[in-house]
Amino acid sequence: MFFRLLMESFRRQRRRKMLAGVAILLGTTAVTAMLALATTIGDRIHKELAVYGANIVVYPKADLLDVKVGGVDVKPASGGVYLKESDLEKLKTIFWANNITGVSPELPLQLTATRQEDGRLFPARTVGYWFDHDFGTLKTGAQALHPWWRLQGTWPLVHSRDVVVGATLAKQMELKIGDSFRLQGMAGNAGQPISLTANIVGIVTTGDGTDSEILLSLQDAQLFAGANDAVRRVEVSARTKPEDAFARVDPDSLPPKQREIWYCRPYANSIAYQIREAIPGAQAEQVRRVEQSEGNVLKRISGLMWLISAAALLAAGFAVSAAMATAILERRGEIGLMRSLGASKGSIALLFYAEAGLLAVLAGTMGYLLGSGLAAWLGARIFAGDGGAAEAVLIPVLLPVVVALALVVAIAGSTPSIRAALRMEPSAILRADA
Amino acid sequence: MSEAKIQTGPLVDPHGETRDDCAVIALKNVTREYAGHGSTVRALADATFSIVAGEWVAITGPSGSGKSTLVNLIGCLDRPTAGQLKIDNVDVASMTATELDRFRADKIGFIFQQFHLIPYLSAIENVMLAQYFHSMTDEAEARAALVRVGLGERVSHLPSELSGGEQQRVCIARALINNPPILLADEPTGNLDAANQTIVAELLQDLHRNGHTIVMVTHDPEMAGLAQRRIALSHGKVFCHPVGGPMVTLRR
Repeated sequence: MFFRLLMESFRRQRRRKMLAGVAILLGTTAVTAMLALATTIGDRIHKELAVYGANIVVYPKADLLDVKVGGVDVKPASGGVYLKESDLEKLKTIFWANNITGVSPELPLQLTATRQEDGRLFPARTVGYWFDHDFGTLKTGAQALHPWWRLQGTWPLVHSRDVVVGATLAKQMELKIGDSFRLQGMAGNAGQPISLTANIVGIVTTGDGTDSEILLSLQDAQLFAGANDAVRRVEVSARTKPEDAFARVDPDSLPPKQREIWYCRPYANSIAYQIREAIPGAQAEQVRRVEQSEGNVLKRISGLMWLISAAALLAAGFAVSAAMATAILERRGEIGLMRSLGASKGSIALLFYAEAGLLAVLAGTMGYLLGSGLAAWLGARIFAGDGGAAEAVLIPVLLPVVVALALVVAIAGSTPSIRAALRMEPSAILRADA
Repeated sequence: MSEAKIQTGPLVDPHGETRDDCAVIALKNVTREYAGHGSTVRALADATFSIVAGEWVAITGPSGSGKSTLVNLIGCLDRPTAGQLKIDNVDVASMTATELDRFRADKIGFIFQQFHLIPYLSAIENVMLAQYFHSMTDEAEARAALVRVGLGERVSHLPSELSGGEQQRVCIARALINNPPILLADEPTGNLDAANQTIVAELLQDLHRNGHTIVMVTHDPEMAGLAQRRIALSHGKVFCHPVGGPMVTLRR
């Protein structure tokens, strides 16, 4: 009889139920979308902020040492101390290796260039990079770590003697794609002169000092440096957890258990720490600006999402309350009759709460599905621009959470109407209905 | 009909002995007041009378005389402000709301002027609804109750597919299904045409012959005439009249 009454109430009060259901559906859709976005936003924000470059930089530890004579820093500008390119393979072995999304080693050199056409000489700051380098499962290099660079032409291939010229330098020296010039330098510490003919295959606009540089493959740069396997600086991009107070502590000052927890959290600091452990003679530090931006953006967006979710649920609660008030008012005759037949207030309340609960489960489940779709669409729009493809954001663990929220909204929204209905005198209801 | 005022008092049998012990409904100085805007409205004042098991009593009176208040009290839908109200020898004034719900399901069968059938339930389901709130549903029993009121062929019909008289008979079957000691009928024929009035009146007479206690609120003198005794109400006060040969006499 209970289920008969329950089902009939849905069949007979279709419009009222639909109104309340739509309110719950919209509320849970918004909440699902916000929660789904909030749970995936870390990855998305990281991807978004990756355009601002690496969040960890690695350089030789010797760079930290001051070499001063009589108060004057006599350390050479380019040092002469290198990291080993082959050591970069060790990045694949650290605890958070899978969080590394990009690696870009650099080897800067000061060379001289001579234009082929007129023999004009010009100083050329030259930097060797990886371009589209296979690094485990990653395809990485300078362009991956500097996605804002705009290239006209192609990137140089390994051992091709091809180069890319910065836009400012190209303009100054009237260089264009297809031109060639001779690069000359003194190889290694022995100072043996070396030169090669370089072909310009691209012109790059970077918006920074790189616009005045010549970019070539790391292998070619190592040839000039006379140091195979040498790199001067490595930029690393990694997915990290936003920095908090615990992230900033010195791990070596922590008790072993705490240190292990710190080590196993993907803070930029702990990833940098693991890089220092993996690569001998390396100093790795987080680029604080990017990390802080990531943390701040995440905090603000999460706050906004919670606010939207709360507002959506509150609005749904009010709508359910209004719809249920009308639905219950229409059925006051039934309530009066049931009371006269000996139904307790509790059993009548149970019937109405069961109706609200069933509505919540149905609308909540639909809201979950719609919200997941909305999250995918929003994710594509907000984070990938108009052309972005929607990624599926179906997070199963959200289903019980969303249905529970729908139940809370439906029950809270129905309670004032149910209480008011149960306060009415059955005899008054039955006579008013007469 | 003469309006000879009779002093209300303890119920006595034809030999002059008090019959409160066998009364199924006993009111002693029952008062019901409602709080109004800064004042108190006395809907029923100092009512004292008893109804014995198997008696058919008509409650009459103009609008606002306190009939509804009296029906609510006897039907355990309300509790008196003062006085003692015993139903089946149990004082209901001291019961909690939950106890009163349970007691109502056990002791009272309601018959309404407007039938109050649930429109989306069939005749048999409407009868079973009373079983559901009382104990548990039994389709065979519900069917038997409908057969008893002459609706054996109409069990699956919705109220909208039944005539007014048939709807009232479903209402009577629903009132009878839990075998309550008291049938409380509020204008049972007030909404029926003459033919159906006769059918329902005959049904109530049949129930009375079978020993049911019937308390009936009515404006209809013919229906009131079927009862053994009439309790008249005026301005919240009770006046008792013997009608058609009372089973009991009232002490003057």
